Amino acid sequence: MKFSYNWLRELVDGLDTAPAALEKLITMKTAECEGIEATGALLETACAARVESVEPIADSHNVKAVVDAGRYGRKTVVCGAPNCRPDVISAYVPVGKKVIHDVESDGMLASGAELGINRDHSGILELESQVGAPIAGCLPDHVIEIDNKSITHRPDLWGHEGMAREVAAILGRKLKNPVRTDLLPSGAASIAVEIKDLDLCPRYSALVFENVSIQPSPLWLQRRMITIGLNPINNIVDMTNYVMAELAQPMHAFDADLLKGGTIFVRRAHPGEHFRALNFEEYTLDPSNLVIADASGAIALAGVIGGLDTAIGGTTTRVVLESANFQASSIRKTSAVIKLRTDASMRFEKAQDPANTTRAIARAIELLQELSPGIRISGGVADRKRDVPPPPPIALPLAWLDRKLGRKVPAAEVREILDRLEFGVAEPAPGVLSVSVPSWRATKDISIKDDLVEEVGRMVGYDSVTPQPPLVAAAPPPRNLARAFQHEVRAVFVDQGFTEVYDYSFISEGAARRFGFDPANHVRVTNPIASDQELMRASLLPGIWHNILENAKHKDAFRLFEIGLEIHKRYDDGLPDEVPHLVAAIYDRQGRERLDGAVGLFEIKRAAECLMPHARVCPAAAAPYEHPARAADVMWRGERVGRMFELHPSLIESGRAALLDLDLRRVEVLSGSEVKYAPIRRFPSSAFDLSVIAGLREHASKLEDSIAQFAGPLVESIEFLRQYSGAPLAEGQKSVSFRVTLGSADRTLSSEEVSLIRARIIDGMRGMGYELRV
Amino acid sequence: MMLSTSMLDRSIQELESRSLARIASAKTREDLEAARVEALGRKGGLNQFSKEMGKLPPEERKRIGALLNAAKQNLEAAIEARERTFAEAALNVRLDAEWLDLTLPAPGPRRGHLHPITRIQRELEELFSSLGFAVLDGPEVETEYHNFDALNIPPDHPARDMQDTFWLESGNLLRTHTSPVQVRGMERFGPPLRMIAPGRVFRNESVDASHEHTFYQLEGMMIDRDVSVAHLIYFMKTLLAAIFKRDVTVRLRPGYFPFVEPGFELDIQCLICGGSGCPVCKQSGWVELLPCGLVHPNVLRMSNIDPEQWNGFAFGLGLTRLAMMRYGIDDIRQLQGGDLRFLEQF
Ligand SMILES: [Zn+2]
Repeated sequence: MKFSYNWLRELVDGLDTAPAALEKLITMKTAECEGIEATGALLETACAARVESVEPIADSHNVKAVVDAGRYGRKTVVCGAPNCRPDVISAYVPVGKKVIHDVESDGMLASGAELGINRDHSGILELESQVGAPIAGCLPDHVIEIDNKSITHRPDLWGHEGMAREVAAILGRKLKNPVRTDLLPSGAASIAVEIKDLDLCPRYSALVFENVSIQPSPLWLQRRMITIGLNPINNIVDMTNYVMAELAQPMHAFDADLLKGGTIFVRRAHPGEHFRALNFEEYTLDPSNLVIADASGAIALAGVIGGLDTAIGGTTTRVVLESANFQASSIRKTSAVIKLRTDASMRFEKAQDPANTTRAIARAIELLQELSPGIRISGGVADRKRDVPPPPPIALPLAWLDRKLGRKVPAAEVREILDRLEFGVAEPAPGVLSVSVPSWRATKDISIKDDLVEEVGRMVGYDSVTPQPPLVAAAPPPRNLARAFQHEVRAVFVDQGFTEVYDYSFISEGAARRFGFDPANHVRVTNPIASDQELMRASLLPGIWHNILENAKHKDAFRLFEIGLEIHKRYDDGLPDEVPHLVAAIYDRQGRERLDGAVGLFEIKRAAECLMPHARVCPAAAAPYEHPARAADVMWRGERVGRMFELHPSLIESGRAALLDLDLRRVEVLSGSEVKYAPIRRFPSSAFDLSVIAGLREHASKLEDSIAQFAGPLVESIEFLRQYSGAPLAEGQKSVSFRVTLGSADRTLSSEEVSLIRARIIDGMRGMGYELRV
Repeated sequence: MMLSTSMLDRSIQELESRSLARIASAKTREDLEAARVEALGRKGGLNQFSKEMGKLPPEERKRIGALLNAAKQNLEAAIEARERTFAEAALNVRLDAEWLDLTLPAPGPRRGHLHPITRIQRELEELFSSLGFAVLDGPEVETEYHNFDALNIPPDHPARDMQDTFWLESGNLLRTHTSPVQVRGMERFGPPLRMIAPGRVFRNESVDASHEHTFYQLEGMMIDRDVSVAHLIYFMKTLLAAIFKRDVTVRLRPGYFPFVEPGFELDIQCLICGGSGCPVCKQSGWVELLPCGLVHPNVLRMSNIDPEQWNGFAFGLGLTRLAMMRYGIDDIRQLQGGDLRFLEQF
C-alpha cells in the first residue's frame, strides 16, 4: 500500500515531520515501511509557459521552440512533441542547457508522464494557466510504501485517513476529518436496494447522480492517482479510487441508464449464472458468490469487480454510486476461486467498517461537484443495513496491563494513548479502564484486552521495556531421545568421512519409476511447484542418487549421508507415517578405493558396524536399483534394520557407489539396551586355526555359523583370518581360514577337551560335505 | 718353569696393555669377542697367570692376585665400553635407516562435514536445553488444524495468504512453519512449558537465489504465569548474543501474526555496518530477524490452557536465514543442493 506524504499532511494538522523521520515512526509504532521514494521532483521548478514560435530543425523530427517561461524569461528549447505549436501553453522545466542537433536547448517542455502527473507520453502537457504559474495542485511528493502483510489485520490502514490517524496519535497532533456528512441528501432515494443476505452484505448504500459528464480528471487528481500507483482513467473512476485510497471504502459506479428496473438486488449468484466483468472476462458463478444484480441479472461481482454491461462510458449521464460493505471471508473466497484480486477485494477481505459507506458517499458528493461541473444529486441516499449493536466495552485492568508489558504505564498515559487512537475510555472502578472500540477497529482487529496491550505497548514504545529474566522452576527439560540419537548417528558418520547433505522431500514420478517404486504408493502433492516435485519421498535413495551423480561430475571419490524422513502412505491418526532414515553412500570412480567396488562396500559395512556393533549382513534378493549380486539385508540384534548394496550399474555411468539405507527408528529402539558388565575371565583360553575348503560363492558367515554350532557353548570367538583361491585348490574352490577360541569362566580347559571340540567341528563340517585343512 | 715375580708382574702388564689395545681397535663384535677370549677366556692369558700363582709364596700370591683382578676389571670395563659404542653405532644406523617422510598425507578418509543448518541447529538446541527448554519434534506433514486453526488462523483468514501452502491429496498439508509444534507441545505437556522445535518447513514459492520452497525454522515457546514482554526481550537478547557471540542491539516493533497478541518483529542492528546503513540492511541499519509475541489467548484456549491463569511468549527463528548470515551464504539453493564443494566448507 502506497501512501502519499502530501495527502497525510492534508489530514494531519500541522504535520511537519520530514518523510524519512515519519517513515521510521510508522515502522516502530504502526506498520512496516518498505521504503520511501521521492516523486515528481520536476514539479518543484515547473511552470506554465507559452510557446511563441516554432522552427523545424533540419534532418530531425524535433523542432526549435522559443517559449515565454514567466519568471525564467524567454527560453529556446528543442522539443519532439507533435503538439508543440505556437500559442500552446505547456509546462517548462529549467533542467539546464544541452545541445541537441547543434541547437542549444535551455530547459525543456515536459509531458504529463515526465512530470509524474499521468502516464501520457504522447506530447507535451497542455495547460490553461497563466504563464509563469506553477502547475496547480501538482507538487513533488514522497511515497511511503507499507508492507501489505503488516496491515492484514488493520482494515482502516488501507486508506490515508487511517494512517493519518496513526500519525496524529504518534505525534500528538489533531486529525482533520475529510468528510462533510452534512452534504448527504435526505429524502426518498431514487433507486431501491434490496439485500437478500445481510450476513454477506451487512450494508449497502447508493446514490444517483444526474447530468454527469465523463471527462478526464483535473491534473491534481491525476497526479494523486499516479503517486499512489494507480492510472488516471476518467473523473468518475478516479473519484471512486480517490475515496477508496482516502477512506479505505471501495466504491463502484454504474451507468444508471443501463440498469434494468428500479431496484438493485444484493443476492447469491444462481447456480451457473454468467457474468461479464469489466476486465472482459466471463465468469460462471455459483451460490457461494455474492452478486449485485438488477432485474435482468448480475451487474457486479460484489466487492470484487463491476460488470461490463453496466459500465460507465463516454456517453454516461446518470450514475448510480455504490458504497457497500461485504463479509470479508465471502469476498476472499470468491476472489480466490476466480483468481482475481482487485484493490476492492483486497480491502473488503480485511473486514471494512460498515459505518464508512455513507461517509464515502458524502466525500464523493463533495469531489464530484468539482470534477463534473453541473452534476445533480437525484433523491436521497438509499441505505439498507443490518443494525449491529456496538461491541461491549473491554475491561482493561491496568495492573494486568503492566504485568503483560513488564513495565508500568501510568493510568493517565494509557488513557491519553487510547484517546488519541479514538477509543472511548472510562474508569468506572479505580485501576480498571472501560474501553470502547471505534467502529473501524471493531470489525476484526480489536475485541479483547490483549489487543489493547498492543495499542499501549506500541505507543509507549517497546524500547521502553527493560529486559528481565523470568523466575521459573529449575527443572531439567524432558529429553528428546530420538533427536539425541540422530545427532549421535551424524557424529559417527562424519567421523567415518561422510558429509551430510539435505535433500528435498519431493521426488518426481520419473525418479520413483527409475527406482522401481510405484508412484501410487506415494503421498501426492495436489499443488506441486513443478511436475518433478509431485510426490513425497518414501525413500531417501532417489535424493542421494542425484547427489552422487552431481558430485561425480567434480570429484573422483566421496562419501555422503543424509538423515531425513520417509513419508509413507499409511495413515495413523490422519497423518502419513514419517520414518527417519539414514542413507549413506561411498562413491569411487576408480583408484583409491579400487575399481571392483569391494572396498567401498566393506567400508560402508564398517561404518554401519561403528553405529551398530556386531551388525550382520545377510545377502538377499536385490531390488531393481541394486546390484543383483551385491545386495544384502542389514541385521542387528535379530532384526532387519536396513539394506546395504552397490548401486545398479544402470543408474550410474562411471564409477561405483556403495549404499547403506537404515531405518533409524528401529536402530534407535535396538540401541537402547543397557550394557551389562561380564567379569573378565581369569582362566586362559585356547585357540586353534581351521581352514574350510568351500565353493567360491559360499558365504563366510554361513561357514562361521556352522563352526559355531559344532563348537558348542565353550566357544569364545570365531575370527575370520583370510580366504584364498587358486592352486593348489581346484577350480571353483576357496579356502577360508578361521581362528576358533575356546574358554570357560570357571576353569582352564584341558587339552583333551580342546581336542574333542576341534574333532567335533572337523567331523561336523566334513559331515556337511566340506573338506578341511587343519 | 719358575718365573720371577718381577717377570710375572711385567707379563701381566704386557697382556693387559696388549689386550686393551686390541679391544680399542676392535672393528666388529667378532674382533671384540676374539680379544675377550684371548684376554679373559678360560684358556686366556689372565687365567694362565692364575694357574701359576699357586706356586708363589703366600704374600706374593696375594699381591699378584690383586694385580690380576685389577687387570681383569680394567679389561672387562674396556670391553663393556667398546660394546656400548658398537650398540650405539648400530642404533644410529637403524635410526638413520628409518627416515620417514612425515609430510606424506595420512591414509584413510578425511573427517566428513555436518550440514551448516545442522551445526546452527545443534548449537541452538544446546543453548535452549541449558535454559531449561525441551526440544520437540512434530511431523512435516501436518493437519490443517495444527498448522492453521489451532494457531488462530481460521479458514478464509487473510493470513493464510501469507503462507503459500503445499496441499496433499489426503487433505493434509506440508507445515508452513514450525508453529504447529507449539500446539503439539501444549497438548502433550500442558503448562508450564518451555520448548523449542527446530525443523523443516515448506512454502509453495518458486526457487531463486533468495527464495526456497524448503527451509528451516526454530520455533520457541514459553508458557508460565505472568510472562511479559520484558521476559520475551530478555530471552531474545540472550539467544541472539549466544548466536552471534557478541552483544547485539535489538528493537521490537509491531508485527502481525494471528497466533500472538501483541505481535512483534524483532530487528537486530545490522552486524555488517553497525547500524549506519549498507546494502545488507537496505540502508536501514536494521535487519529483520525474529517474529515473536505474547501467545494469543485463543491459541492457549484451543490447547485447553486457561489464558487467565497462564500466558507466554512464542518466537520463530529462521534457521536458514541465520545460517546464511553466519556463513555469508549468498545463494539459498546451496543448502539443499548437496554440492560437496559447498558442504565441505563447514
Ligand atoms: Zn547494514
